Amino acid sequence: MNGASTGRKSLPIDPNTHEPLPPVRQPGYYPGYSTLAQQTFWDAKTRSVILHRVNHTPPIRFFDSEQAALMKAVCDRIIPQDDRDPAYRIPIVNYIDERLHEDKIDGFRYENMPADRDVYRLGLQAIDMLAQDRGGLRFVNLDARRQDEVLKSIHDGNAPAAQEIWNHMSIQRFWKGLVSDCASAYYSHPWAWDEIGFGGPAYPRGYMRLEGGEPEPWEVDEVRYEWQTPPDSLSDVYEPAGGDSEQKGHPGQGGTH
Amino acid sequence: MRRFRDTDEVDYCIVGVGSAGGVLLQRLSRAGFQVVGIEAGPFWDTERDWVSDEKGSHQLYWTDLRITGGEHPLSLGENNSGKGVGGGSVHWAAFAPRFHPSDFRVYTEDGVGADWPISYDDLKPYYELLEREIPIAGPAYFPWGDPHGYPYGPHPMGGVGNSLIRGCTKLGIRVSAGGPVAILSGSRGDRPHCIYRGFCIQGCKVGAKASTLITHVPNALESGGEVRDCSMASRIELGPDRRVKGVHYFDREGREHFQKAKAVIVSGYAIETPRLLLNSACPGFSAGLANSSGTLGRYLMAQAGNVILGRFDHLVRLYKAPPAHAMTEEFYETDPKRGFARGFAIQTVGPLPIAFAKQMMVAKGAWGWGMRRVMMDYNHWSSIAVLGEILPWADNRVELASETDQFGIPVAKVTFNLHDNDKKLIEFGKNKVMEVMWAAGAEDVVQEDRYAHLVGASRMGSDPETSVVDRFGRTHDIANLFVCDGSVLPTQGSANPGLTIQALAARTADYLISQGDRIFNSNSRDMTQPPIRYNLSPPGTFWKGMPRMT
Ligand SMILES: Cc1cc2nc3c(=O)[nH]c(=O)nc-3n(C[C@H](O)[C@H](O)[C@H](O)COP(=O)(O)OP(=O)(O)OC[C@H]3O[C@@H](n4cnc5c(N)ncnc54)[C@H](O)[C@@H]3O)c2cc1C
Ligand code: SF4
Repeated sequence: MNGASTGRKSLPIDPNTHEPLPPVRQPGYYPGYSTLAQQTFWDAKTRSVILHRVNHTPPIRFFDSEQAALMKAVCDRIIPQDDRDPAYRIPIVNYIDERLHEDKIDGFRYENMPADRDVYRLGLQAIDMLAQDRGGLRFVNLDARRQDEVLKSIHDGNAPAAQEIWNHMSIQRFWKGLVSDCASAYYSHPWAWDEIGFGGPAYPRGYMRLEGGEPEPWEVDEVRYEWQTPPDSLSDVYEPAGGDSEQKGHPGQGGTH
Repeated sequence: MRRFRDTDEVDYCIVGVGSAGGVLLQRLSRAGFQVVGIEAGPFWDTERDWVSDEKGSHQLYWTDLRITGGEHPLSLGENNSGKGVGGGSVHWAAFAPRFHPSDFRVYTEDGVGADWPISYDDLKPYYELLEREIPIAGPAYFPWGDPHGYPYGPHPMGGVGNSLIRGCTKLGIRVSAGGPVAILSGSRGDRPHCIYRGFCIQGCKVGAKASTLITHVPNALESGGEVRDCSMASRIELGPDRRVKGVHYFDREGREHFQKAKAVIVSGYAIETPRLLLNSACPGFSAGLANSSGTLGRYLMAQAGNVILGRFDHLVRLYKAPPAHAMTEEFYETDPKRGFARGFAIQTVGPLPIAFAKQMMVAKGAWGWGMRRVMMDYNHWSSIAVLGEILPWADNRVELASETDQFGIPVAKVTFNLHDNDKKLIEFGKNKVMEVMWAAGAEDVVQEDRYAHLVGASRMGSDPETSVVDRFGRTHDIANLFVCDGSVLPTQGSANPGLTIQALAARTADYLISQGDRIFNSNSRDMTQPPIRYNLSPPGTFWKGMPRMT
């Protein structure tokens, strides 16, 4: 079976001991920091929305079981969580499934892209086509390294073995939609906020210490540690997504100013 | 709240109760007109409906389908439009600079874009009025454009503002610290001051950030105006006398209604306004209502909004403080040495984790362990944005797509292409902001292409052949049909458009009030500038509670 989802391999490495770092409840540089521990200071509506998010993972309704398993394997590489204690992994596929089940969109569709539901149906086909081409196996049965190779080829915009799918939709837009959806699910969870030291809900209490990165009395100081990416991973390099320049144009989507 | 019946012929039916619509509804109701505002989204109960959470605030945006294309397709949805009472003022960052005098004569000065049919001086008294009404916090002296000061004191600096000021100061660039922003730095009336929680774009649950939902709509209702929420206008009806008769709309249950009105004002913003007028095509106006010029939907603009992200060795914690709290307009005007017309501003932004992750995906190509790693450094990053003037071009436009929405109404198709001047401006602007970020002491600097704000597509002008509305927002073609929102802007400067949109709305309201019943029963067009009315501000706002300046 697939190493990524069982957490057997693919653990970050301690550069000093060269040993894998065992999975922990809360990775990141803010030991002991908990946004959920601050929930008495949140307004009632926000508390109910966040607690619902944490306590009620939506069931899979859009993907069939095969697609769901494939999505799980893909999301496990796009936002890997092998460093997290299995009881503290953040569900991702279920939130993407929920969005597609409810057919919620971001307010637009590129003229040369199918509707979001079809984007996922086609994209999953493409991923399996690329897996077959690379390892003669379904994506879920590839090892972590091969899985990353498949995904990196999409990131690079260089995945000709699934060209028949890219004829129907832009490879770059598929990739960015997929990574956005995974990141949105992960970084909307309080455990992810604890990991990155984000303050979380802040009404009605607000903040008093705005400058110099100083923590509020309930926040904690940063305590950094070194970690190396698992040796079987390809995702810890920063290269802008590739492909022909005409399709590259992908302006930012979140609101700013 | 007063409820009119569909069969009541109201004086004014306003489509869209957003930044402009909220001000119009308030002014016209207060002046004694019978006014109903048809709003596609809900009437928010801020305590019950809003959350202090990024993902949970998705409902504030216009997320219904639109098609986007062209060589440089715009992201729509949460990037630019709101739905619900208050419209875009609910989720704006609330930067509230004025336009510069030069913005009103871009064609004359630079030979590009267009001139406005009004001058800065026509709008100036409305800027001054709205800055006190909303009100705006900022420095006592703002040096650019027509220099002026702000009634409420500036806000304290957050980590992002700190890096903007540090970088700019090193390079000898003047900055404006702590505003101008439509956020209370001290409480006023029943509105508390800012608590620096950083969720402005998710809707300010505190009530410190201005939105017409809290600044103007309450007084509109007290004055007898009605807001009909969850009501989607589908078509404006034209009578045989070439005057509009009212608005067809779908209510929250999807039932169709027709609201009779003596005059109609469309305030749906730069995509929905042209969409509604195009969908109201009828015999005599087969290419869209009030579109005899063929310019309806054209000259759509977005501002360049590239975000420059810099990693610092020290902690920044960019999630604190309002995203909008420091800026510079030092590069706003045309500088022939730069090789392109017009300019840009530089402003703070404050992406929360989801927005930041998406920026890292684009700017650094982050995914997988790389995404996890860079996100663990979230608190080390600062983010400063370009706000650059993109010129109005005829090929940047809103049309109708073949797809329809949940009511069966054809949706908008938006086409956007950058032109040579735009590309040069963006290149220069983003490099300048990167320079600022390095000067601030960043050790890694990356950037994301993006666009902010939408204006145009139903522009005002003196010539009926090349514009849709006249200088008061009246359509050239139909005497009792008006457009008043961001879509009437002929050019956009590099100032965020919200304050200008509200100032224009207050000015249009003064015009309508000064014209009285003539709007309802005459086709004649009186182009006299109306007197500014100071007695129509919501009570307790005009010239009240001002810590400084009179
Ligand atoms: C994330 C973000 C940050 C921003 N920050 C700033 C900022 O800092 N400063 C600034 O000046 N501007 C900012 N803006 C832009 C600003 O919000 C808009 O320019 C402004 O709100 C536009 O005003 P408007 O009156 O033209 O339209 P809106 O305020 O968008 O109002 C239009 C209203 O009409 C309704 N409507 C549309 N069509 C129909 C229909 N057919 N039937 C019924 N109702 C309809 C909509 O639901 C909406 O409520 C920001 C925008 C975004 C997205
Ligand atoms: S930072 Fe201030 S204005 Fe923005 S949401 Fe918080 S309290 Fe409101």
